[in-house]
Amino acid sequence: MNSISSDDGEVLSTRFRGSALTTWLVLMILLGSGCAFVRGNYGEDLNQGDISTIKKGVSNRAEVASVLGAPDRIITEPNGHDIFHYYHYDVKSGYVLIFSRTNIKSDDIFVIFNSAGVVEDVIAGKKKPPLEFQFWPFD
Amino acid sequence: MIRKLQTCFWIIAWLMLLSGCLRGPVAWQRVTLNQPLSAQDVSFVVNGKTSLPEIVEKLGAPNQMLSSNGGIVARYQFTDGKYFRVDFGWGLRFIIPFYSPDLVLGGGGMSADVFQVTYNDHWVVQDHGFAFHSQSSEFRLWPFKD
Repeated sequence: MNSISSDDGEVLSTRFRGSALTTWLVLMILLGSGCAFVRGNYGEDLNQGDISTIKKGVSNRAEVASVLGAPDRIITEPNGHDIFHYYHYDVKSGYVLIFSRTNIKSDDIFVIFNSAGVVEDVIAGKKKPPLEFQFWPFD
Repeated sequence: MIRKLQTCFWIIAWLMLLSGCLRGPVAWQRVTLNQPLSAQDVSFVVNGKTSLPEIVEKLGAPNQMLSSNGGIVARYQFTDGKYFRVDFGWGLRFIIPFYSPDLVLGGGGMSADVFQVTYNDHWVVQDHGFAFHSQSSEFRLWPFKD
């Protein structure tokens, strides 16, 4: 019958400690790649209440500018129409170990003026649902 | 015992600080702008009949409006970017502590699905079309392939 001597026990214990340390180090290095969740935006999120104060056939350029601010872009049509373009971007980025995913959402509003400078139409869709934080890049 | 604990603490602290500088050996990254639109989503659009408010009601405001000789062009875009990289030199930091060169192979791409609608002066759809390209972006390991 074999018995484990105290020397063998010490060797086993040292080996166990060695492998535990190695596992711990590998885990730390893997986790060392880190994780991050980042949020950002570009432009001001335009209030739906502000948009509803713009009246078709009544409001003019100055009134629109006083409610929504200066447009981010102005498009001029050949037939005399002007379009004010307002945009807002929202960014959510997730980074976990070796995977990262960045989602960007744009909310756009267009105000169309006739040749007399009065609002002809306001193009603002329903507010898009909020972005999700994701890190998995394959779906 | 206290000395061992101190050593452990400094190793952990060092590794935690290192995590700010370390980049993993492999990385998959993806960037998307807006949500994809399918042909089914826009099947209600009929040239000469559907108007701008109907489209905005169902699809929301477009991402872009452009002026053209044929009328106003509204564009809805879904952009998809994919990037993959492998750093084959990453493991060298454990053999050569003070010099770890980057030996990176990787690649990716960016592409967009675009739904485009042209309106006439009365804001009725004159023509519309889809361009599906988002599937052409891919995670790519070998950058030398033509």
